[in-house]
Amino acid sequence: MIQEEYRGTRQWSRNRQAIAIVVWISFLSAAIATMVFFALFDPVELSGIFDADVDIGRDAGYAAGFFFFWVLTAICSAVTAWLVRTAPKRDAKRR
Amino acid sequence: MSAEADKDKVQGAPMFASAEKIYPREMKGRFDRLSKLATITLLGLFYVVPWLMWDDRQAFLFDLPARKFYLLGLTLWPQDFPYLAMLLVIAALTLFFFTALLGRVWCGFACPQTVWTEAFIWMEQWAEGTRKQRMKLDKAPWSWNKLRRKGSKQLLWLSFSLWTGFTFVAYFTPAQELGPQLLTFSAGSWATFWTVFYAFATYGNAGYMREQVCKYMCPYARFQSAMFDNDTLIISYDETRGEPRGGRNRSADPQALGLGDCIDCTLCVQVCPTGIDIREGLQMECIHCTQCIDACDQVMDRIGLEPGLISYTSQAELESGRRSFLRPRLVVYSAILLVMFGAFTFSLAGKKTADVTLLRGLGAPFTILPSGEVSNQIRIKIANRSPEKRSYLIVLSNGEGLTMIAPENPLTVAPGQTEMTGAFITAPISAFSGGETSITLTIGDGVDFSKVLEYRILGPAGGWS
Repeated sequence: MIQEEYRGTRQWSRNRQAIAIVVWISFLSAAIATMVFFALFDPVELSGIFDADVDIGRDAGYAAGFFFFWVLTAICSAVTAWLVRTAPKRDAKRR
Repeated sequence: MSAEADKDKVQGAPMFASAEKIYPREMKGRFDRLSKLATITLLGLFYVVPWLMWDDRQAFLFDLPARKFYLLGLTLWPQDFPYLAMLLVIAALTLFFFTALLGRVWCGFACPQTVWTEAFIWMEQWAEGTRKQRMKLDKAPWSWNKLRRKGSKQLLWLSFSLWTGFTFVAYFTPAQELGPQLLTFSAGSWATFWTVFYAFATYGNAGYMREQVCKYMCPYARFQSAMFDNDTLIISYDETRGEPRGGRNRSADPQALGLGDCIDCTLCVQVCPTGIDIREGLQMECIHCTQCIDACDQVMDRIGLEPGLISYTSQAELESGRRSFLRPRLVVYSAILLVMFGAFTFSLAGKKTADVTLLRGLGAPFTILPSGEVSNQIRIKIANRSPEKRSYLIVLSNGEGLTMIAPENPLTVAPGQTEMTGAFITAPISAFSGGETSITLTIGDGVDFSKVLEYRILGPAGGWS
């Protein structure tokens, strides 16, 4: 009863938990990946690789890199979470 | 809670009056003071540091657009990334050490999630009042009063978030330029975007998600128990002293009733931001915010019992009354930490302000000049790691009859840049034995860099008559 009064103690639904975890953990991983990647490569030097006419600034390069990594890590996290949650339960089947 | 107190609140006379007896959030205590101090210190540091200056520039600036980091007098280039990685490892080890020693002291006092949540709760209290008032306000229909209170809370939260976003970006873009630019909407689009992005994250995390982040999203919360041992300080409820718990009359003798010291007032549960009952033992959700200790100590004081029914102590101390610090775990953590820190300081102190590489010239290894002398082409690559433009003088320092022709000497290199220049070394054939001879080049910038390099130049094998 006491606990119900305090909104902070409300439990998150399983889906909400999963989404929050996926978004947060992929964000952290993407931040680390961005840091390491751009310590090694300068976005200005990379921008000419695919199309010589493309000349983006460093700001945009960092942002593009970060969001690219975030989308990638988020997909990875989400698929992993989904497969883990929807996997057939071993014990249930054997019984 | 008494009925009179309740009525007082409804009529709304002293909305912001202290309500210490009823609303635990406002409870004062030694841990609460410590937590306030930590919050103010850490937030203060975060907001002040971008404004500190070192000579003519920001003292701490991670200048991503220019690809260099300034830390006080130090300038770091992308090539110095290993230092940053080392620093992160040291930070992680320090966290492990303090976790083993003091439990989740990071979670309770220093984690940004906790610190900003605390600040946001203060703003919530200023605008909406105490916990009970807030609950009442949420249930009440919309009115001018509710709009005013909710509105001012949102205003406080949003402005604080935006300021936080600005401060965050100011670690990467000079604060003194960014500030006026943002106010006049003339900042770069990415600087504006990241300011808003970080502001939104702060607003959501500290305003709404709060301890749910610790419960559901934080990996550290899940594995920190791996750093615990029996002597790690944790928040513990003294079961032998408290149980059996139960309410009692002020005049009643607990011993006659067969009761322990816990009067089951549930204040410890009410103050808990993660909503657990610490009396059920240490749980994953407990972030060591220590509010239940303050709450319980105050109750114990009021009913005339010793404080410390819930206390910040270790499992071992509860059982044996002894506190031990010299434990294998702590010794190992501190030994690794010392080694890492030593290696870091050593490598940073020995950091050169330039890198010099010698490479052989392209094409034939050597040519024989009409005069009969042997000429070697070498390439000299100099990377300037200092924060200013420098000129590097290349001096050939040994050998009889050896001469050097270098078109660019001294070689001027802009800060953070790498330049390459060629040089010809000519030597008489008599200088060679076995087809090679060794030369010594000294390269220095006349400021703080000087390096002596040995290099072997090639000539005809076995001499040449």
